[in-house]
Amino acid sequence: MTAPLRYSLAILFVLVALLASLGLQEPFSNPSWFLFPTGVLAATWICGNGPGWVAVCLSTFAVQYFFVPPFRTWILQPRDIPFFISFVACEVVANRIVAWRVRTENALREARDELEVRVAERTADMENANKALREQMAEQRRTEETLQATRTELARVVRITAIGEMAASIAHEVNQPLAAVVANADACVAWLTRQTPDLGEAKSAALRAVEGATRASQVIARIRSLISKGAPQREPVDINSLIEEALVLAKGQVVLNKISLSLLLDPALPLVSGDRIQLQQVLMNLIANAIDAMANVTGRERTLEIRSQRVQAQSISVSVQDSGIGISEEFISRLFEPFFTTRAQGIGMGLAISHSIIEAHGGRLWAESKLNEGTIFRFTLPEKQASIDEKH
Amino acid sequence: MKSTDPIVLIVDDDAMVREGIQSLVRSIGLRVQTFASAAEFLSANIPDVPKCLVLDVRMPGQSGLDLHRQLMQANTEIPTVFISGHGDIPMTVRAMKQGAMEFLTKPVRGQDLLDAVQNAIERDRTLRKERAEIASLHKRFESLTARETEVLNLVVAGLLNKQIADQLGTSELTVKTHRAHVMEKTQADSLANLVRMFEKLKNYLHK
Repeated sequence: MTAPLRYSLAILFVLVALLASLGLQEPFSNPSWFLFPTGVLAATWICGNGPGWVAVCLSTFAVQYFFVPPFRTWILQPRDIPFFISFVACEVVANRIVAWRVRTENALREARDELEVRVAERTADMENANKALREQMAEQRRTEETLQATRTELARVVRITAIGEMAASIAHEVNQPLAAVVANADACVAWLTRQTPDLGEAKSAALRAVEGATRASQVIARIRSLISKGAPQREPVDINSLIEEALVLAKGQVVLNKISLSLLLDPALPLVSGDRIQLQQVLMNLIANAIDAMANVTGRERTLEIRSQRVQAQSISVSVQDSGIGISEEFISRLFEPFFTTRAQGIGMGLAISHSIIEAHGGRLWAESKLNEGTIFRFTLPEKQASIDEKH
Repeated sequence: MKSTDPIVLIVDDDAMVREGIQSLVRSIGLRVQTFASAAEFLSANIPDVPKCLVLDVRMPGQSGLDLHRQLMQANTEIPTVFISGHGDIPMTVRAMKQGAMEFLTKPVRGQDLLDAVQNAIERDRTLRKERAEIASLHKRFESLTARETEVLNLVVAGLLNKQIADQLGTSELTVKTHRAHVMEKTQADSLANLVRMFEKLKNYLHK
């Protein structure tokens, strides 16, 4: 509503009150007492503060002129003054109360409106945040998918590489004796076709060729035996004597590599039940690994410590500890994986096979290592049970 | 066999391969000495005769390539035939750059190995002759006095006796005497020969 309209409306309310008062003067004696305040009320309520005051003034004049005796004059008799003042006061109070109500209501409405705006804003904010979150989640899902794909690819490559490395190792292992066969066979031919053939030399060369060929076929047999798992033999085995036998075979390497050996064997070690050859293989493997690990160690002592002991009630433990280069954490978890190797030579099957042999015997094989300090391989085996012995 | 006969030195960690090669080489009448590792080779007494080295590339401990490099650096080069289980190209190139005579892949054909060995021995004979010549030259030139060396440097630079005398602030006759001593001590029968010997020695020492 524009200002002139509001003022006109206020005047109109006073006019209506005046006309109604005049019209109803006969039946109701003097209705102006409530009709004018009503007009003021309506004007203040509907048209606002300024027009309200205008209505108050106009009403005051109209009442004074029309309804305060003597009627239709501006004369105010002293006896009517208190009455007139109280009327004006009533009007002002009515006006103020309404104005206050309107103000309060407006403030309330504004507050409500503002609140609505804020709520809308917050809602929008939250929707945006939600959207961003959803996008982020989608992005993360895509990243995860990519990561997964990369991992799968990596695993494939590692597998192929492992197979390639194994093939290369097998090729090397077979090629070495073949080289011996060819060199010795060539030598044999050379001794035979000399001007004066030397049968003795030819014979020993031929024998070495045979030996080489046998070695090549042994390599192949070994690989084949890795593939086909035969049921292990069970017999009472003295682990201490196995360790000593393994060391006889490894002695040359121990001396050659200037390794100081310490042997801590428990004399009261109980027997275990198992496959002698397989357990021998495990020990040989661990010892050979330990020696290899120290091959490039310089500047500190090379020590190999082999210890056997009884642990808990019905179990024995064997540890093979070296002061070698150690194994990084990254590799230690993969140690027992088939075809895993950190060496240029070897097919990466030794530890995998040892692990499966020990597990097949009901034991456990594990490794602890510190880089540049050394590695300790430890396995446990259950003691031979009397009942099993009786059955056999 | 005479003690001046050439010798073939075989270094291979695989006993059977080592034996085979040894037997093959002996069958054509060459002397052989075998070693199971680079360390064993380095600590051995090697006779001072024409020789060649048959070297396995891949051995535990010091590899064949390492050993060869060490010999080269110590200026005790022996013409070398490498044998390898898997002669990949970079390794072959490295060996050849290092001055290997031949790079053969296992299993090696007997005749290839014998040819390579004989070429290597020939090469060593030449090297030894050259080394002996250089040593003798070195000895002869070393025997010159400081003054004679000064004269020698100016002679080979192409200066005349008179110019040398001027430069050294002495008489032409003195220069002539020094010059005669130089020719005598170095056993040079002509100026051209003296210059040739001088250049040869200089090139060698420079290297």
